[in-house]
This record gives sequence, structure tokens and C-alpha cells, in this order.
Amino acid sequence: MGWREADRLADVAFGEVALQATYAFRQGNPVPPKDGKGMVARSRRRVTQSKTLIAVLITFLNLGAATLLRLGPAARVHLVPATMPNGLYQAGVLTGLFGVEVALLWWTGIQVVPTLVASGAIAVLEPLPIDRTMLRRIAALVFLRLFDLPAAVVLVGTPLVVGLALGPWAGVAAVPACLSAVAFALALSLLTSRFFVRRIQGTRAGGGGTLLRWAYLLLWLLPAFGLITFATASPPFFRALATLAPSSGPASSPAFLALYPLSLAVWPPIAAGGGGALDVGGLALAIAAAAGAGYTALAGISALWLYRAVPDVGAVPPRAPLAGPGTTFALRPQRPPWAVLTKDLRLASRTPGYAFLILLPLLDSVALGFVTYAGAPGTAAAGGIALGAVVSAALLATFFAPAFFALEVIAQSYGRTLPIASRTMALGKVTLVGAIYLAAGGIVLAITAARIPAPLLFVTFVAAELPAVVAAGLLELTILFRWARSRGLPVTNLYAGTWNVLLAAVPGVAVAVAPLLTFPLLGVAGMAAVALVELAAVAPLVLARRAS
Amino acid sequence: MGPAGRDVPLSVVGLTIDYGERRAVDGISLEVRPGEIYGLLGSNGAGKSSTIKAIVGLVRPTAGRVLAFGHDAIEDGLRAKEVLGYVPETALLYEALTPREFLEFVAGVRRLEPTVASERLRTYAAAFQLGGELEEPIATLSNGTRQKVLVIAALLHAPRLLVLDEPLNSLDPRSVRIVKELLVRFVRSAGRGVLLSTHTMEIAQELCSRVGILDRGVLRAEGTLPELRERSRRGDASLEEVFLRLTRQDEGLAEAVASLDGP
Repeated sequence: MGWREADRLADVAFGEVALQATYAFRQGNPVPPKDGKGMVARSRRRVTQSKTLIAVLITFLNLGAATLLRLGPAARVHLVPATMPNGLYQAGVLTGLFGVEVALLWWTGIQVVPTLVASGAIAVLEPLPIDRTMLRRIAALVFLRLFDLPAAVVLVGTPLVVGLALGPWAGVAAVPACLSAVAFALALSLLTSRFFVRRIQGTRAGGGGTLLRWAYLLLWLLPAFGLITFATASPPFFRALATLAPSSGPASSPAFLALYPLSLAVWPPIAAGGGGALDVGGLALAIAAAAGAGYTALAGISALWLYRAVPDVGAVPPRAPLAGPGTTFALRPQRPPWAVLTKDLRLASRTPGYAFLILLPLLDSVALGFVTYAGAPGTAAAGGIALGAVVSAALLATFFAPAFFALEVIAQSYGRTLPIASRTMALGKVTLVGAIYLAAGGIVLAITAARIPAPLLFVTFVAAELPAVVAAGLLELTILFRWARSRGLPVTNLYAGTWNVLLAAVPGVAVAVAPLLTFPLLGVAGMAAVALVELAAVAPLVLARRAS
Repeated sequence: MGPAGRDVPLSVVGLTIDYGERRAVDGISLEVRPGEIYGLLGSNGAGKSSTIKAIVGLVRPTAGRVLAFGHDAIEDGLRAKEVLGYVPETALLYEALTPREFLEFVAGVRRLEPTVASERLRTYAAAFQLGGELEEPIATLSNGTRQKVLVIAALLHAPRLLVLDEPLNSLDPRSVRIVKELLVRFVRSAGRGVLLSTHTMEIAQELCSRVGILDRGVLRAEGTLPELRERSRRGDASLEEVFLRLTRQDEGLAEAVASLDGP
């Protein structure tokens, strides 16, 4: 039995992962009455759709990076210092691209690897007379299939795009960075999932345990915020990068070039323009070469570790919690919407995929808040960045309602037997969405209160947008609950349900954006009026008794 | 629905469930009367779990009605869910929550007062000898402990109808005894009823006032043990023998047993 046989068995095992990701039978979901026959094919199709969507997103990022690479020095003056050598600028753009690719693949991983564990697709094979080598191959192939289309775009599409933008040798020089991005993202996905099972899922209840869980999640998910971090930190990053060139004035430490993925991103510009393209000196280049070689070696080690560790992915039991304080039988039940909200928060605190969504706007606010704080105090630009933080939090919030709806996939066979109306569920989830949005606004204000020119304007801006955020969440949840009733099952994890999430999010984004668009024309009062009208139009759809 | 209907714990009328082209349940009708433990018996795939999933609102039937104390479980699912407690066959819970967090969620959704919920938890946890496990994530607990948590969750709001799908499967002998006692005491209170699905004949014979025998989605027979004995024309037979006879699974059984010596 060789790789061909392993591929055949991996195909069977992957079918099970796709089925569980889509229908969640192991979490107790009953067979949808209308889906009986075609569900295996349908689940494979849905997983392929989701992978295609992520692959398309990476393709767009590649094309965006190619456009930036092709821009002449005159066109990029607003982004980077004018004195910055073109090679360094190109290395900066590629650093962003590789960082975002790692982040997107890792994000995909933390959504789906827990499903791989829960599906038991690999564990089912273990009692069969299959030797360890074959089992490793099957597990590795199943794991790779979770990422195949997005990873293929990174491995093939990115070098191709870099080659088209900077020349064929630059494309070849991008290959180590692309290989490393895929190896690191996949290893981080597995590492995060194992960590989640052992350290996060196994923690006890109670204040200390909850704090510890959120701290762990923050620590481990922080690098996955690559997309947003790079977007918000790009101007300071480019300024720091520019100082590496002696021609730009006092040079910063060449050790800066040892950072990942910058040390790998410098080689395509060098391959295109020669050793002098970066204008950073021999020592800096040597540091970049040594670090790049180190990262490439580490990527190889990661790939080998993945090959060995993947078969055991389902065999890691949660670590038994340490003995805690005496047992209490006290229950503190809350009103149904609050009970839903508390349950969602508790589940999210032990589920990286959902914790990610809650932490994303909060960290974004922290990043933008500090950018504002570091800028010139009291200027219109500082106020603009602060308002931008609120806008991005509002737009990110429109993806929370579908995400918190997807959370219902967990134990839904039991949850659906409880006397809880859709509107109660929606209210609980929308309250959480609104609270995250307000917390994000509060963070920006707390950091920048002394720096922005009109704090009161900021506060009213946040308040005026709140009804629109709530309306967007209610609208999305109405759509999803109706699909749940009519189709039997759109409740699924985010990996297999990306398409549903996007379809429901489109009207939500439109609702959230409408007041923001009216702000430049009508000010905060007009913005609040639009948001309130939207809420008044949407709320009856969900809150009417018949909607339950 | 007249007043009499509101006194009947469970009434299933012409229930039909299709999965695509496959008919899992074919027009069955049954009734759980006040003070009764009704046993739903059947082989694997007979339609027991599908019937129960329709009763608790997990599966929308193709046809038929389900009434829990007069509340239509399909058209007025929330009211029906308020009066019933459900123990599923498999302990599929919010794995990331601890039992206490899970029970707090259930108590919240069922709008229980904190003192009432806490007192009930104390009583049932003591009966099942649950202590530190209440603070550990459900993912780390044994199947038996999860099953105990599910039984407590089903009883927490003092329901009037209990629906249990193979509830004793993972439990240790002590806990099995506790659950049996709980069920017997449960139906002693006026007007309550229990629907118990099982394929363990001894349990049905010991606990159930009446049983219904499901076979390939059809209710083949229904009644007390003496009534079923009479129907199967076996005066002194056990429930197992009656079941095998009525479902015609006794045909060729002796030969099948004898053939086991072959390999």
C-alpha cells in the first residue's frame, strides 16, 4: 500500500470530515428530512465552495500586492516616505502579503481543525489493520485537503504574481517565503487546536479560570490578527523599514531584517533588481540571508512535525483540571436572552474560532487607538483615525451575528429541545454584538480621549451607529433563522458555511454602512435618524411573536 | 382540544416521518396517560428515536400530530417544550461548558428561580453522587456522568412529561437504580407521564405500565404485558418472548443461534 492507497482512504476520511463540518451529526444534529440522499455530495460541495472563497480572497490579495509592486515611486508617496528605496518598498509590500496569507490560512485552520478532531475520521481507522506509516500518510493527506485550494493559491499563485510584477527570477525567489507561509500556518493551526483541547477546553469554571482562558486565547491568537494588524500598522512599519537605507538618514538596526516574513520578502526585489536594490548594506543583507535560511529550515521542521503529529490530533485528551475549591450547588439562572449571551461568551472563551471574532474588533481598536495616540494631538487626522476605528468595528460586527448563530451548531440537538424562541436567541446574540461594538468604541475613547479634537462628537458618533449595528445583526439572524426553518440546516461551522455567512452578511453590511455614508452629508443627527429608521424597520421582523 | 386533552401527558396521532424516500415512521398513534410509564420498544432502526425526536421538536414530521398536555408540539413547540423534560440517547452537550454552567443555562431558559434551581440541583447531585465534576468541562467527563447531567437537566424544571430515549445505557448500577426510582416517584404525582424508549426488555417489564411495540416504523401492538401475552397467545411468556413473537423475529431465531457454533 503506497501513497495512492493512502489517497484513496484519505478521500473517504475527508468525506466524513466534510459531512460533519456541514451537518454536525456527531454533535447530535438529526438528518434533515429533505437532504437524505444527496447529503454526502452536498457536504463535499459546500466545503469546496468555502475553500474556493478563501482561495479567491487570497487571489485578490495577490493581485492587490502586484498592483502595489507595479506602482511607480510617484504613486506611492502617500503610503511610504519619498526617500525609501524601491526595493525596500517592494519588500514591505511582500511582507504584508506573506503575513496576511499566514493569517488567513491559520484562521481557516482554527475554524476547521476542531471539526477534524470531533469527526473522529482518523480515529476510526486506527483499530483497522493499517500500519503506522500508512496512517500517517492518510492523516497528512486529510489535513492537507482542509487547506488545499487556498494553500495552492499561496504556493503557485503568489510566485506567479510576484514573477509577473517583478520578473521571473523574483517569482522563483518568492517560493521559500510561500512554502514557509503554508508550513507555518498549518503547523500553527494544529498547535493551536492541540493547545485548545489541552489547556483551554480543560480549564475549570470560575473567575480565575475564565480570565486564564481569555489570556491564553489572546496570547495564542494574536499573530492570527495579521491582516488587521498589518492594515493598521502599515504606515509605522514602512517608516521603520525606510530607515534601514543609509540614504534615508540615521539607519535603524539591521537586525530588523531578521523579522519574519521580512527576511524572506527581501529576496524577490533583490532577484529583480540586484544586491543594491534595497540599499541596506552588506551586514543587513547577511542578517536577512541567515534569518531567511533559518525560517526556511524551521518551515521544513514544521512540515515534518506536522507529518508526525497529525495522526494523533484526535487522541489528545483535555488535561484534567486541577482540584478546585469546594463544590457549590448554587445556580444563578438569568433571563433567557442573558442566559444565551452568557452561554455564548462561555463557549467562545473555550473556542478559539469564536474568541477570535470577539477579540478582533477589540484588538483593532487598541491598535488604531494607539496609532491615534501616537499621532499629532488634537488634529483632524487623529479624529479621523479614531472614527475609522469605530467604522471598522461596526463593519466587523456585521459578521458576528452569523458567527454567533453558527455557535448554535454545538449541542444543537439538545438546545433545540429547550423552550427558547428564535427571537430570544436573536436578542441574546444581538446584545453581545452591540456590547462588543460599544466595548471597541470605549477602548478607542479611553486611549485617545486627550488626543482627539472633539471627544463628544466621537461619543455621539458611536451612539448614532449603534442602532444600525443592532439592526444589521437582527436582519442577519432573521435570514439565518428562516433558512434554518425552511431548509432544515444552515446551522453549521464557519468553515463549511462560509457561503451562508457571506450571503446573510451582505444585507447586514448594507444596513451598517448606510448611516456611515450619511455622516459626511447630514452629520451625526442625520446618521442617527437613518440608523433608528433601519432598526424600526428590521426589529418587528425578529421580535414579532410569529417569528418565534 | 377539549379539557380532557389537556390532561393527557402525550398524544401522538398518525405520526409519519420520511427521510428523503425512506419512511422511518409510518402513521403511528399512541397515548401516554396520566400516572403512566409508557415503554416504546423496538429493534434497531424500528423508528423509536425518530418518534421521540418528533415529540421533542428535533424532527418535523411528514404528517401527524403530537400533543403534550394539549399543546401541539409542531405548531406550538415552545409551549410543548415547557412542559416536557427530555433525556436524549447520546449525551451530546455543550462540551466546553461545565455541568453547572450548562444547568445554569437550562435553568435560565426555563426561567427558574435561583433558589428553586439550586435546591433541585443539590438534591439530584447528591442522589447521583456528583460533586467536583460539576465544575469540570463536560468534555472531560465520562459518558455516565454526562448522562447523569442530562437526567438532572430534564428534571430541573419539574416537568409534567418526561421523554427518555434509552436513558440507562451508560449508567452504573447505582445510578440505574436511582433513575428507576426517580421515574416511579415521578409518575406518582398527579397527572404526570413518562415515555421511555428502550430495547432492554427487562427494564420495560419492570417499569412500564403499558408498552408499544414498534417494528419497521409501524406500531405492531400496544397494551399491558398481560394484554400483549394474550395477543401473542403466550400465556406465561416474558416480554422478550412476546416482543420477538409480535415482531416475527422469533422466526428462524433457533436456527440462527444454532449456527453460531459453526465458525
